[in-house]
Amino acid sequence: MGKIIGMVTAITVVLAASVVFAITADEVVNKASLASYYQGDDGRANIHMVITDSQGRTRERDMTILKLDLEDNGEQRYYVYFHKPSDVEGMAYLVWKHPGRDDDRWLYLPALDLVRRVASSDKRSSFVGSHFAYEEISGRGPEEDTHRIKTEDEEYYVIESVPKDPGSVEFSYFLTWVNKENFLPMKAELYDKNGKHYKTIEALEVKEVQGFPTITRMKAADLNSGGNTVSETSDIEYNADIQEDVFSERFLRRPPRKYIR
Amino acid sequence: MKRTVFLLIVFLLFSGIAASEEFKMPKLHGFLEEAFAPRFGSDNVRHRQYNMAEARLQLKADYYFEGDNILSEWQAGVTSKCDFLLDLYSGGKVITDLRELNGFFTPFEFMDVIGGRQVLTWGTGDYLFLNDLFPKDYISFFIGRDDEYLKLPNDALRVMLYPEWFNVDFVWIPFFRPDEVPDGYRVSFYDPFMQGIAGCNSQIDVAEPSMKARNFVYAARAYRSFGSYETALYYYRGFDPSPSSFKNEPERQLYHQRLDAYGGSIRGPFLWGIANMEASYHYSPEDRHGDERTIQNSMMKYLVGYEKDLGNDFRMAFQYYVEQMLDYKKYKHSLLVTDTEYGKFRHMITNRITKFFANQTVKFTVFTFFSPDELDAYVRPVLTWKATDSWTLTLGSDLFWGKSSRTEFGGVRKNKNIYVRLRYSF
Repeated sequence: MGKIIGMVTAITVVLAASVVFAITADEVVNKASLASYYQGDDGRANIHMVITDSQGRTRERDMTILKLDLEDNGEQRYYVYFHKPSDVEGMAYLVWKHPGRDDDRWLYLPALDLVRRVASSDKRSSFVGSHFAYEEISGRGPEEDTHRIKTEDEEYYVIESVPKDPGSVEFSYFLTWVNKENFLPMKAELYDKNGKHYKTIEALEVKEVQGFPTITRMKAADLNSGGNTVSETSDIEYNADIQEDVFSERFLRRPPRKYIR
Repeated sequence: MKRTVFLLIVFLLFSGIAASEEFKMPKLHGFLEEAFAPRFGSDNVRHRQYNMAEARLQLKADYYFEGDNILSEWQAGVTSKCDFLLDLYSGGKVITDLRELNGFFTPFEFMDVIGGRQVLTWGTGDYLFLNDLFPKDYISFFIGRDDEYLKLPNDALRVMLYPEWFNVDFVWIPFFRPDEVPDGYRVSFYDPFMQGIAGCNSQIDVAEPSMKARNFVYAARAYRSFGSYETALYYYRGFDPSPSSFKNEPERQLYHQRLDAYGGSIRGPFLWGIANMEASYHYSPEDRHGDERTIQNSMMKYLVGYEKDLGNDFRMAFQYYVEQMLDYKKYKHSLLVTDTEYGKFRHMITNRITKFFANQTVKFTVFTFFSPDELDAYVRPVLTWKATDSWTLTLGSDLFWGKSSRTEFGGVRKNKNIYVRLRYSF
């Protein structure tokens, strides 16, 4: 009798669990990736970053980012134009994002009229010296990790993601708090190889832009050094009708003024 | 003088138009830099203790036409950049160096035009130029100035076409501008007349092509991508940017012989990195059979390169470069017993390592040139510290070695230096 009760309980728990987790972890992560990196078909925005080091000294970066989605959660193009600091003013950066293989990246140096191809295997390197890794700006491919729903509450799914290729990254796993309503990742905690929490990325402000919930202020904090970077996004425009040819050598040399302001 | 006239025309053209519009003051950027480079070599240059002691102010401003007019519709604008150099080396004179002053516009969807003083670069090499025959300043390169000063601007008209299937650049340069190469004043070098290293005692005279329609320089590039692979074809018709031929031996006069170049390149991902290949055929029309003793022979130049990102802000790159003299037998046959004999091939290996530290505020690079057959080398370590967004401190060194003085780096081996540059950007 006790056995039967035990079995029934077990079955109930399993059923209950599958009802509760009606959505799989992979679905949550895919939706989160769409919500944070693939809103609209294209878009432009101004980004202002304040990088604060462990001793409180700050540096600033101002840039305009253009993006074009060729397919949702797939091929994407990025164009980054630097306004500040003044020694990089006029430099432009072009990225062809290829899920599953290395991105193509080019950097244009106006003083030399030089279009340099940049080798880019390491997506964990810092983006323009900030506390954001390169792929935390352009998006980490959902297929690069194994995901499971660790817990959930009324507001968030908490996803645990373990890299399939641990040698390619500095973390052993990370947790992401995904908003259940709009699927925006509101917080991520990264854990190093010893299981120590060493980095937090947090959304500080969300605004609705043309009907798309968009993170307009976020912060990356390095808990080991004590430094952090706050990134503010403004003048966001989705579906700005940015043509694919903007993401080419021509427009590295000749920034598309229509979108860069 | 002729350049000044040309620029004045461009300037008046645009200032006239600008005056007729509602003029919005463009933003001014630039930097102020102090640079000092003590040197350690005993030779006969102007100042033996240092080869750079200068303060430089750079000002730049871009202007875009706005409003309801054809220039605004053409997305036209003006780019300007001017350096003011207080150079102790030349007795503390202030030298004005107009680096850029050009107008640009897009008259059609498929066409961009840039006219005026501008820097031009193409090709896939890193510090090695096969098809990029636009002028370089090797004196600045050897004494420790910023990389920006390796390229000299041209007064040129550049038309860029973007039809459906490929892109084409046409460049017209009415006045040929040669490379700045060591001449003994600031950088000692191998003087072929003295057959040894010379400084201010060198009596070489260089004849430059005169300004006439026959001496216009033309260059073109056609390029397109196939997926992640970029391919290009190049053409150049002009003069050798370095004075490599003898005009008048008793008068110790060198000159820039005519040069036509045809080349191609490909660049793209390869083995978890980026690889590039480039080749160029340099045809010497004044020595078409290769038997003119005083004129540079035709040549083939080949380059392969590979760069890999090793992670943690650490990059490594290699290049292998070969120069092959064509009609070598005839060249050898034409030599006199007193002439310096050069080999048929020249091989060069380069390596670049780049490492960033401290959230990319500190950058360390070492670029090495090494020729296994000529046994000469040039090592360029550079350490850059971006102390703040405005202040940058650069420490570097130019180290040359060579068994023989007649090799490229052996000839300048007395110019070893260390340098420091402090820059405030605004």
